[in-house]
Amino acid sequence: MGNFFLYLGMGLFVLVFLCLYRASFGPGVLNRIAGICAIGTKTLVILLLMGFIYNRVEMFIDISMVYALLNFIGTITAAKYLEMKGEA
Amino acid sequence: MTRVTDDIIIRTVARVLIPFIQLYALYVIMHGHHSPGGGFQGGVIFGASFILYLLTHGLEEAKARMSEMKAGLFSSFGLLIYSGIGLLCLIMGSNYLDYGRLSTILRVIPAQARSLGILGVEIGVGIAVMAVMFSIFFDIATGGEPPGGEESFGDRDG
Amino acid sequence: MEVTILVQATDKAFEILEKARNDARELLYSSAKLTSETRSLEERRKARDFLSGAQRSRLTLRNFAITSVLLFAFWIILSARFDAFHLTLGIICSLLVAYLSHDLLFSNIRLGDARVRARRFFAAAPWFLGQIFSANLHVAYLALSPKMPVDPQIIRFKTKLESDISWVALANSITLTPGTITVDIREGEFFVHALDRKVAYDLSTGEMEDRIAHVLMEADHIYIQDVLDVARIFGALK
Repeated sequence: MGNFFLYLGMGLFVLVFLCLYRASFGPGVLNRIAGICAIGTKTLVILLLMGFIYNRVEMFIDISMVYALLNFIGTITAAKYLEMKGEA
Repeated sequence: MTRVTDDIIIRTVARVLIPFIQLYALYVIMHGHHSPGGGFQGGVIFGASFILYLLTHGLEEAKARMSEMKAGLFSSFGLLIYSGIGLLCLIMGSNYLDYGRLSTILRVIPAQARSLGILGVEIGVGIAVMAVMFSIFFDIATGGEPPGGEESFGDRDG
Repeated sequence: MEVTILVQATDKAFEILEKARNDARELLYSSAKLTSETRSLEERRKARDFLSGAQRSRLTLRNFAITSVLLFAFWIILSARFDAFHLTLGIICSLLVAYLSHDLLFSNIRLGDARVRARRFFAAAPWFLGQIFSANLHVAYLALSPKMPVDPQIIRFKTKLESDISWVALANSITLTPGTITVDIREGEFFVHALDRKVAYDLSTGEMEDRIAHVLMEADHIYIQDVLDVARIFGALK
């Protein structure tokens, strides 16, 4: 079962790089924001999978919740900043 | 960034989420000694809840809930708790922040006194970090304008 | 020649008359609208005044109690330590957070019958999950087929839901279903981005809206608080 989670995590790891491509080369700011947001979501799942691999799920759930929260607030902040810039 | 947003989805979701975020922050502070986290992390999460409130409900309502003066008071108060516990240890005759000696006041065994002392210090750190996080964001969001208008600070133009 | 001038003059006079009449009508309409608006504002203020005092403090107390109980349940789920020290910490923390933000969680939720609501939620959940699953398959088909037959479009529709909580529930259900994203809600009007025609058609049948109205007891429920408010206003007017 540990191997299963390991392979799952490796697959997500590859997907993170695809999102990173979008975040670094993506045309326009909105694509970059969407890419960063997707990376945050994938990192969250990878953290949980790490918890399953190390048998410390209760610890990694705490970390991933904080990660999800800060990702959410960061995306909202970036979106509001862009909204404000559009008006000025 | 500090206007009231007219997006009802974000407003409602933030409204429902904020109490749970705050409770989670307190959980991170209180359980700092046997799970990841501690005073700083919990304080950051608590500050993030106020930042979320400011982002979604605008500057005015956020000021009513947590003004700049309150934030300054809280940051000093958190530092007071931290250094107070440290100095108490010093007065009791051991090193700064050496909680073992607190067992004579708390009437518990030294190991438990250490645990309680660390908890107190973490609460202080959490309060200070929360207030400082909020006031940093407040200053960035308002562009460094002093809260009382232009006459309360020296003129910036020269 | 003179006849044409006369006809033109008459025409002009009629035009001016017509314009004046339109102006007068608009003025009348706007004044009527203004009166109705001020009246509704006044009524709202009156209702708020009635609500003030004992009833408001009781409402605050109820919100405080429910919020702290909910938060304490959340604390127990998070902590999973049942010794007296941690439980006491949990009670203190949930009371503190409830004191800080009891007005946020229930700021305009009317408490209906929570049990009916929960039963309806669990009854409706399989339909939503099935919907999400089938939409997932459809979007995967769209993305993987070589021609990519997408036809992105923004559809707008007026919803019949009333409270902001049910708007948010509907918007989040729409966003959760793959292929559709709620872009904006403006005064009860939804702007939804749909990936192709089939998804948009599925949305426009309004079945999801009906289910959410059923779960959140929108249409078929008389709120107790409403009855209380109306009774007080009625008594005062009498």
